Amino acid sequence: MAVPEADLRKHYDAIVIGSGAAGGMAAHVLTSHGMKVLMLEAGKKLPIDKELRSMEWPYDNPYRGKLPPDRHALSYNEYDIRKPPYGPGFEKYKHLHSYIGNNDYVKNIVVDERENPYTGTNYAWVRARCLGGKTNIWGRLALRFSDYDFKAKSHDGFGENWPITYSDLAPYYDKVDLYLGITGVKENLEELPDSIFQRPTKLNCAEVTLQQGLKKMGRTLTQYRAGVTSDGLKHNKYRSRCFGRGACDRHGGCDIHAAFDSPTGLIYPAMDTGNLTVRTNAVAREITVDPNTGKASGVHFVDSQTMQDYTVRAKVVIVAASTLESARLLLLSKSRQYPNGIGNSSEHVGHNFCEHVMSGGIVGQAKELIGKPSTNDDGRPGGFYVPRFRNLKDKQSNYIRGYGFEGDAGQGMLPRIHDASGFGAGFKDEVRKNKGSYIEMGAFGEVLARYENYVDLDPVVKDKWGIPALRFHFQFGDNERRMVKDMNETAKEMFEASGFKILEVSDRIRTEGGSIHELGTVRMGNDPKTSVLNQFEQSHDVKNLFVVDGSAFVNSSCQNPTWTIMALCWRSCDYLADEFAKGNL
Amino acid sequence: MSDKPDLKHDRRQWLKGSAAVLGSSLLPASAIASKTESKIAAENSKDKAAETKPSGRFLTPREHSLVAEMAETIIPADSKSGGAKAANVVDYIEEQLRERASTARQADFKEGLRLVDLMSQHYCGKSFIAASSEERIAVFTVISTNIEMTDLPEVRFFKDLRQMTINGYYSSKIGIHDDLEYKGNVALMEYVGCDHPPTKST
Repeated sequence: MAVPEADLRKHYDAIVIGSGAAGGMAAHVLTSHGMKVLMLEAGKKLPIDKELRSMEWPYDNPYRGKLPPDRHALSYNEYDIRKPPYGPGFEKYKHLHSYIGNNDYVKNIVVDERENPYTGTNYAWVRARCLGGKTNIWGRLALRFSDYDFKAKSHDGFGENWPITYSDLAPYYDKVDLYLGITGVKENLEELPDSIFQRPTKLNCAEVTLQQGLKKMGRTLTQYRAGVTSDGLKHNKYRSRCFGRGACDRHGGCDIHAAFDSPTGLIYPAMDTGNLTVRTNAVAREITVDPNTGKASGVHFVDSQTMQDYTVRAKVVIVAASTLESARLLLLSKSRQYPNGIGNSSEHVGHNFCEHVMSGGIVGQAKELIGKPSTNDDGRPGGFYVPRFRNLKDKQSNYIRGYGFEGDAGQGMLPRIHDASGFGAGFKDEVRKNKGSYIEMGAFGEVLARYENYVDLDPVVKDKWGIPALRFHFQFGDNERRMVKDMNETAKEMFEASGFKILEVSDRIRTEGGSIHELGTVRMGNDPKTSVLNQFEQSHDVKNLFVVDGSAFVNSSCQNPTWTIMALCWRSCDYLADEFAKGNL
Repeated sequence: MSDKPDLKHDRRQWLKGSAAVLGSSLLPASAIASKTESKIAAENSKDKAAETKPSGRFLTPREHSLVAEMAETIIPADSKSGGAKAANVVDYIEEQLRERASTARQADFKEGLRLVDLMSQHYCGKSFIAASSEERIAVFTVISTNIEMTDLPEVRFFKDLRQMTINGYYSSKIGIHDDLEYKGNVALMEYVGCDHPPTKST
């Protein structure tokens, strides 16, 4: 759908900065309340119908789906041993991408790292600047948080509780489920509350074997809870139901938008209300302040292409630029009233930065599936999820909080090969026999939200638009390292209990940032001294300023965050619209 | 025949010994210095003279044929599906080397290719191209069973060639459809899943 020219002279009811899961949801909720909204997106509007090539065969791609040779995606090793902005050694590449940009299907979605430098500790920071942001290519695992997360401090004494409970958020999770569609199976687990599911995907044989193995251990394996509509959505003309086509494992986006993405799921329908204006190529550099009232007055942005500066005005400013970009924008917005950055009287902006730590993963083989005919295992949005089972009723002696496993089994488009030196007729036959027999999974664990893990502005380095770059002070601690050790042990134990031959267990901890689940940095709380936002993601300091993305999280849980970002955002925007109507903002 | 090493019994022993002496090659010095090499060099230059290298190509026509045969040895045709030659993996490999490989890797590849062809001369008395498939397998088996000897260019070459052959073959039409019968990229009304008794009602 065409994006009309944005009128920048208008005084909007609200400006939403960012167009990903949070920005899209804010636009949806506020426009449905009749508010006139301007959305600013730093990236371009991609011709998404051409960009997402879910059904393309590798042999029809000039590079078999790999990046063109003038581009390079950073490897974990490069993140670990080179300092950003990536130093010498990459001169021959025209474009550098984060590790996720290692194929031809996402190269226009992820940013060019050289245009967007950052400094400090090693961090695999994945950024997508385009309409819809990372939702265009997300992993689709859509989980709810529980009171084990919202009230984690009450459970083990660490950190802070959220200013809300599960019951506050449950109705909004329901709204997200119904508006966007989610597949899954009800399990009645307190630690992983059920959604309102559409038709679930089915498990394949190796996955059922693992499920049975886990059952003996008192653990659950459930179908991948995917933010994918399997039955279709009558209210959304831009999205089709899932047809189980594949290759979903490529994570190059869904061209029929059965998998949720912000443009078709939220933004286009919001534009259809007539209340949403979208301005792309708009790199926000500052939230402006009315010196008389101390309230946010609008946004100062630079056009990414023309380098021209603009200021737009609005009665409410909603920041949804992604966890780290949102913190950066608040810190950049320094004024006489707010010398440390807007909304930062607590000096907590940038701090309590948390995410998920990932194990290297485990690969096994189900012997009974060797030599079986091919099945379309790749046509599913995901395989399975093993919910957290640590530190619920039990108490681990050397770490707090927990982790869950994501995984799948079966045949992908390209075969797995575990033989390092084989060749010839026997090798070819082995590959053929083994093609559908592998099963793999990897864990995502909670990284404790600690004040000492933070980002601030680099005093020297600036991005392409002259905006100070973010500087990282973020490292995993002992709790994370002990947890990963346990992840690897339980992974082995579960595969052994299921009778799989274990082929690979990596004890490597993925580089910080590898989970692409960065959270915290602008956390909510009841105490304005130790938090930035109240329970409605409203700034304690500036009442017409809201920050509605993952930065508002108090802790990371071990569950994937997108669904919670959207449920929280919906709740906050309902409150916002209500306050706006009452003239309280 | 009697002057050739016995591949079945002492190739590993021989290889280890000669590699220790030479440090840089799977071939004894005598083989490298022998007429064999100059013969191949002569053949090479004859090839080069006979067929001018097409512009933008990385491999000479002779090298191209050699790599095609070597890739076929890694993934051969069988009753189920075509092999690396049918999938034209050599052109994929050539493109990888030309467009993506560093100068060092390119040089390593060419040197390894030359040494493996010399191995064929040494073990079989003929170029890899002229060798029978059993002879080709014997040469690659020497390398494959000594895959940890990555200080040797022929081992590095084999690993590189093998990986590129796998990547090229299994991303080709023949690899995806004929050989592995990948079932994705078609619309399904319902995913079949597993007929195990479920542990939970769905």
